[in-house]
Amino acid sequence: MEGDMAAEHQTETEMRADRGPIPEAGLLGKFVDRLGLIFAAGIVLAMLILIQEVVLRYVFNAPTIWAHETTVFLCAVAFVFGGLYCTARDSHIRVVLIYDSVGPAVRRRLNVVISIVCAIASAFFAWATWLLVERSIFRPDGTVHFETSGSAWDPAYPAYLKLFLLAVLSVMAVQFIVLAVNYGRAARGPSGDTN
Amino acid sequence: AEFNFKFQSSDPAGNPNFELQQGWTKSLSEKTDGRVEIELLPVGSIVEHRETQDAIAAGILDGHITDTSYFAGKDAAFGLIANPVGAWSDPQQMFDFMSEGGGNELMNDLLEPYGLHFIGATTPGLEAFVSKVPLDGVDDLKGLKMRAPEGLVQQVFAAAGAAPVNLPGSEVFTSLDKGVIDAADYTVFSTNQAQGLNDIAPHPIYPGFHSMPLVEISMNKAKWDELPEDIQNAFTESVKEFAQSQVSALAARDKEAVEAAKAGGEITVHDWSDEERAKFRSIATGEWEKVAEKSPNAQKVYDVLTTYLKENGLVQ
Amino acid sequence: MMEVLDFLFNMKSMGIEAGTLLMFGMLLALLLVGIPLAYVTLLVALIFAVGWFGPMAVPLITSRVYSFVSSFVFVSVPMFVLMAAILDRSGIARDLFDAMRLVGGRLRGGIAVQTIFVAVILAAMSGIIGGEVVLLGLIALPQMLRLGYDRSLAIGVVCAGGALGTMVPPSIVLIIYGLTANVSIGDLFTSAFFPGLMLASFYVAYVLIRAYLNPEMAPVPEPDGIPLSQKLGKLKGLILPILVVIMVLGSIYGGVASVTEASAVGVAGVILSTVVRGEFSVKLLKDAALQTLSTCGMIVWIGIGASALVGVFNLMGGINFVSDLITGISTNPTIVLLFMMLILFVLGMFLDWVGIALLTMPIFVPIVVKLGYDPVWFGVLFCMNMQVSFLSPPFGPAAFYLKSVAPPGISLADIFKALLPFICLQVLAVALLIAFPGITGR
Ligand code: NA
Ligand code: NA
Repeated sequence: MEGDMAAEHQTETEMRADRGPIPEAGLLGKFVDRLGLIFAAGIVLAMLILIQEVVLRYVFNAPTIWAHETTVFLCAVAFVFGGLYCTARDSHIRVVLIYDSVGPAVRRRLNVVISIVCAIASAFFAWATWLLVERSIFRPDGTVHFETSGSAWDPAYPAYLKLFLLAVLSVMAVQFIVLAVNYGRAARGPSGDTN
Repeated sequence: AEFNFKFQSSDPAGNPNFELQQGWTKSLSEKTDGRVEIELLPVGSIVEHRETQDAIAAGILDGHITDTSYFAGKDAAFGLIANPVGAWSDPQQMFDFMSEGGGNELMNDLLEPYGLHFIGATTPGLEAFVSKVPLDGVDDLKGLKMRAPEGLVQQVFAAAGAAPVNLPGSEVFTSLDKGVIDAADYTVFSTNQAQGLNDIAPHPIYPGFHSMPLVEISMNKAKWDELPEDIQNAFTESVKEFAQSQVSALAARDKEAVEAAKAGGEITVHDWSDEERAKFRSIATGEWEKVAEKSPNAQKVYDVLTTYLKENGLVQ
Repeated sequence: MMEVLDFLFNMKSMGIEAGTLLMFGMLLALLLVGIPLAYVTLLVALIFAVGWFGPMAVPLITSRVYSFVSSFVFVSVPMFVLMAAILDRSGIARDLFDAMRLVGGRLRGGIAVQTIFVAVILAAMSGIIGGEVVLLGLIALPQMLRLGYDRSLAIGVVCAGGALGTMVPPSIVLIIYGLTANVSIGDLFTSAFFPGLMLASFYVAYVLIRAYLNPEMAPVPEPDGIPLSQKLGKLKGLILPILVVIMVLGSIYGGVASVTEASAVGVAGVILSTVVRGEFSVKLLKDAALQTLSTCGMIVWIGIGASALVGVFNLMGGINFVSDLITGISTNPTIVLLFMMLILFVLGMFLDWVGIALLTMPIFVPIVVKLGYDPVWFGVLFCMNMQVSFLSPPFGPAAFYLKSVAPPGISLADIFKALLPFICLQVLAVALLIAFPGITGR
């Protein structure tokens, strides 16, 4: 009895881990899902850097000037990418009180509308991020200067992160369009072919 | 009112600096017979403190009261003019440089291309140093694990032989308390005392020797240019008066806090000799050159600053 | 259509009162329609930024997104989630709970009580809550369900217990409060310690009462005739987890690592444990890291939207609005205080604590001081209020964090229902702090 339940839990865990992108996310969704590994590795790397910093500082009294900024950067790109990753997998949390109570046909139409609205919003945010990026990679006189952190090490992480945010928000807008199209197809086509 | 502006401060709401800055907005309103009303917002309420410059240029905010060194990443010149570690041993020296040594013009040369107009400078004064261990001179800094966030300050301490640790403000208290770090560059004595830093690190150095930030009051240039001249003058005048009153108010608070700390008996206030201060200053000036190399503007700041300091006998 | 557009670009004309109501109404409506949470707050922020100020205000939102993801305090979130994901994939959690069952013996609700105990230890190891709720959700929840505990009770213990992370020092809420109010963070930590334990003990008392009134909710192991030697063998399951806890707490309180760094020490400890047990593999680490990416994406994007929304609301004049609400309500300090609690409670239904702190602290702290209250005591009170905000619907971060890792059969509605009694206990704690400020030792 107990063993069965444990096995059930085990498969649930597996399911969550291996769920992958939803079919409606299309090729782009698959690509985003694959890319996830890089950013997941970044989180592990961040952990190793923090440990290294603790050892260098505590044991050798030789803290680095780069560990904390690098850790924050690795986590930041993982956070930003994580939002896109969850979009491709449709694993963002929803409050489904109404969503679940409507029939599958209405739900598909709802999915189309939600995806279109989110695509518009993402595109808007991508444009707004471009305004940040502009000020972050050019000096007022038009020469290229990547904004740095201003610390003693002074890496250009702020500029990189803003550029990365621009890229992710742009891809997110495209991803939502792909979702809207595929949900739309399913809504018109024979029902029950997904999920 | 005829002119309504939103300014964001780089200080939190309960901080004494913020309360004094609110006093400035009030005095400006009185000076202009209520024609100018400024809503002063605490740090982070609209955008984070490093992002106010962009927000002002974009017209989201109208102005800010902030430590100029937060924009060192945009141009190293901001870092150098904001905190030329070791240059000033008194706020008045900096104010003189701003008004007579070309500082104000320099600030506007730097800021205007970014879409901001520099109205005037103020400062919380010399920051006190927070330490768990007794420090009485440059030699005591050797191997000292200390928190220093901003560029030049960190660089100078590294050059002086300390081991700077890059920690955000929110981690300073616990890290200092538990001994992850032994010392920290934080803020002025009275605030350190109020936030309990001197209780966990009972060897503060006061008066400070390492940092006196330039706090700029500036606003959107287009909006500034539209203001009638009498309003512009009221702005400039009120900022000048504010700078003086802030410095004296905070100095009084510092003194009071130092007395309280000494009377408590648990805290030993250290004061460095002139010799040690000079030693630190010469290490610091050596680092200025490295910053100057980072951009043409930084070089310009370096040239103007060193010329002024030499002419006025503040450095050899 | 034109009318809609006209309205959208003239929202400012409705004024801040109507604007605030519309904002909350829109949040609720978009939530219920089924838009992913992370996008609901971002969308409302976008609509109000464009409608109130025009498109040029939109960079305010992306600027906040940028600042939010690049703040150092959130580094410990992925660390805690990674720890949880690795534990989940190894047998460590299972053996731990088997051992705990032995230690708990025949005490009804023993495992739930021990889970709260574990939650308090975790709370002493971290200053935020996202990672902890996820950790307990991945580890303790399935184990309690496996052992036949009532689902609601188990959910409540995990969410409320995980939320203790900001009540038991170290606490980012208290640190932010201390910086805002200019009071000693050390005093805040000291004063919050007992109230934090008090809240935890309420949870324990609640579990024990429910379990004894209704034994089905918390089955105790039947005497099974397993020989003592074998039982003692099971206790081995305690050794590795305790060593990890010692590593983390030791590194914080021994001054080896900062609180954030200590969370990485915890990950290293857990990885070492899987190596010792012979369970470590590259696949395990890879799967765990991927799950961390996904879970953090969810957790952080929920916070991103909330932070952006507060920025927009503040620009709309939110701070002045709330402050006008309070001034003139009464000259009686108690009524002013209770009204503040009401505002915090309502805001807690819709916003993340960072947003609430940004919005209310600048207003509340000066008033509280003027009324003659102790700002340190008020800080602890604020912190206790935030405990309620973590659990209260419709925007209850702890519930969302749990949902992100809970078995698919558990819906958000199930979680919120399970949290109700725990919210009552938190409100009781708030009331006690007001009635007996001495609890904070001040
Ligand atoms: Na904690
Ligand atoms: Na809530």
